[in-house]
Order: sequence, then structure tokens, then C-alpha cells
Amino acid sequence: MRMTPAIAGGIFGLLGAAGQAFFHVIPPPAYGICIACHMRDLVNWIAAHIYPIYGLKAGGALIIPGGPVSYNFPLLTIVGILIGAVIAARVNKEFKWKVMRVWWQRPWAEFFLGMLVMISALTFGGCPIRTALKAAYLDITAFIGLIMIAVGVFAGCQVLRKLT
Amino acid sequence: MDLLPPIATIFLGLIMGYLGQRARMCFIGGVRDYCLVKDTYLLKGLFSFIVCALAGFIIFQFVSPAIKTFPWFLDGGAVFAKKWAAMGVTAVPSLILPVPGDPITWSPKVGAHIILAILGGFGLGFFSCMAGGCPFRQHVMAAEGSKSAIVYLVGFVLGAILFHRFVAPFIKAVLA
Repeated sequence: MRMTPAIAGGIFGLLGAAGQAFFHVIPPPAYGICIACHMRDLVNWIAAHIYPIYGLKAGGALIIPGGPVSYNFPLLTIVGILIGAVIAARVNKEFKWKVMRVWWQRPWAEFFLGMLVMISALTFGGCPIRTALKAAYLDITAFIGLIMIAVGVFAGCQVLRKLT
Repeated sequence: MDLLPPIATIFLGLIMGYLGQRARMCFIGGVRDYCLVKDTYLLKGLFSFIVCALAGFIIFQFVSPAIKTFPWFLDGGAVFAKKWAAMGVTAVPSLILPVPGDPITWSPKVGAHIILAILGGFGLGFFSCMAGGCPFRQHVMAAEGSKSAIVYLVGFVLGAILFHRFVAPFIKAVLA
């Protein structure tokens, strides 16, 4: 069966809800799938265990900056996604070393773009996936976030039209 | 130590990575394609995600009655308030703000959160559009062997550290 984004998105949505309902990925609410937040939890957990000064000491316990669900052990979604995508690319023979052609997607520019995306994502409190998950959880700020993401993409498209 | 969430999320991630690679799933890409060429192929993924997640939230709480979290205006808020109090975190979901981003940048001021959502959402959309895909797509592309996406991930990790070192105290000072 050919996998289309519509089917994949539906399965992701069910997985995100199942993560909260069955697998105790709470609190915070609507935390089942998030790229930025789970990456942040993983990075902060490792950083705080290498440099304890990075975590905030409160009453002798190490408080890791991030979701309370990852205080003891971080969520490993990122590791799973990387392994799963590598398996899919290898099985279907789509793995190939490559670099993007346009200058704003060369590696040195992508480094700063990644940093800026992470900072804005954490300012809002989630990557686009978690914004959609929050919207499904009927959060008002997530609807505003979705609209602003669309506005931001629209502005980005104007810049892309100028550049190309 | 509760090891269920990490083990469950690694399997969720495996499924997501495999399906995401096969479907070329991208959440920013849908809006971008619609803007540039009026193509709704990827945008359908975003809408189907929201609809299925809403259906999942409603259905799964009948299947698993132990954790009733969905209608936050009925009892979900109380579940989280209890959990948070047990963990010693001072963030309580209210009627208007059920889903804090995370307890680090949480405050009961609704207006401040709307301003954060406006700033963060715009930056997220703009920079993801320039980078050529949402963070999830970049992870999948890194696994496919794109060197640009691998460097993007390095920047992504550094961004998390920079945020919690320099931006989070500033946001906290503004919110307090």
C-alpha cells in the first residue's frame, strides 16, 4: 500500500493521543508527540548529568529544565524517529549522502536556521506537531499558534519567491 | 522510576520515523506548498492529524478509564494539577490555559502566553519555511543522508541549550 501524508497524519494523531492515554506521557498535557520538546528533554537531561550546574538544584534534587515526565529518564522519541527513518531509507534504497543546492539550505546556513527554529519553538512551547496536538486538545493559544505559523510560512514564501 | 514513557516513546518514534519517511510527511511543507503552488497533498496530512488526534483523545479515554484527561474543562485539569503538585512544580492548568508549553515558561497570565504564541509561532513558521521543512521532516532527511539536515540537528541541539541558558530567564522575568 502506498503511504500518503493523509494516512500517515491520521496514524500520527492516534499515536499522539495514545501516548497520553495509555503510555503515561503526562504531565504536561498533550505531550505524546513533540519533536522540539522531546529533543529538549533529552539534551537537558544529558547536559544536567554531565554538568550538574546546568540543572537547578532544589532541595537536593536535580531539577531538569523541561517536561516533568522526563525528570527521571528522558523521552526517547528522537532516537526512535532517527532509527525508524534510517531503516525505512535503507530498506527502500533511498539512502544517499547529499547537500541542498540553494545557499540558504547549505549546511552553514541550516545551522543557524536550526538554532532559530528551536528557540522560537520553545518560546511557543512546541514544534508544529505539538501545536496541532494542542489544537486537538482544544487549547486557545495553540489555535493562535497555528494561525501565526501559517502567517510565518506565508512571509517565508514571499522571501523564497524573492530569492529564487 | 517509571520507565514506561521512555520505552513507549521509542516505539512511537520508530513507527513515526518509518511512516514519515515513506509518506514524506511534513507539517510546514503543507502550508508552504499551498502558498506557493496551491497543492493540498501535504496539507491533508496536517488536517487528518488534528482530526484523528481529537478523535483519539475522545475515544481513548473511554478505553482507558484510569487516566481521564481529555475534557480539561471537566476533570482533565484536576488530574494534571494533582500530578504537578506531586512533582513539586508550580504550574496549574486553568480553564483558559489548559496546556502550558512547559513549567519553565509557565505563568497564569493569559495575555503573556498569547504574545509568546504570536512571537514563537511566527518565528517557527518563517524559519522552518526557510530551512525547507518542519523539525520532524529535518530528522527524517538527516536519516536519509542529507548533510544540511544533519547540521540543522546540531543547531537544533545548541538552540535548546541556548534557550534554557539565556532566553528562558528573560521570559520568566517578563512573565513574573
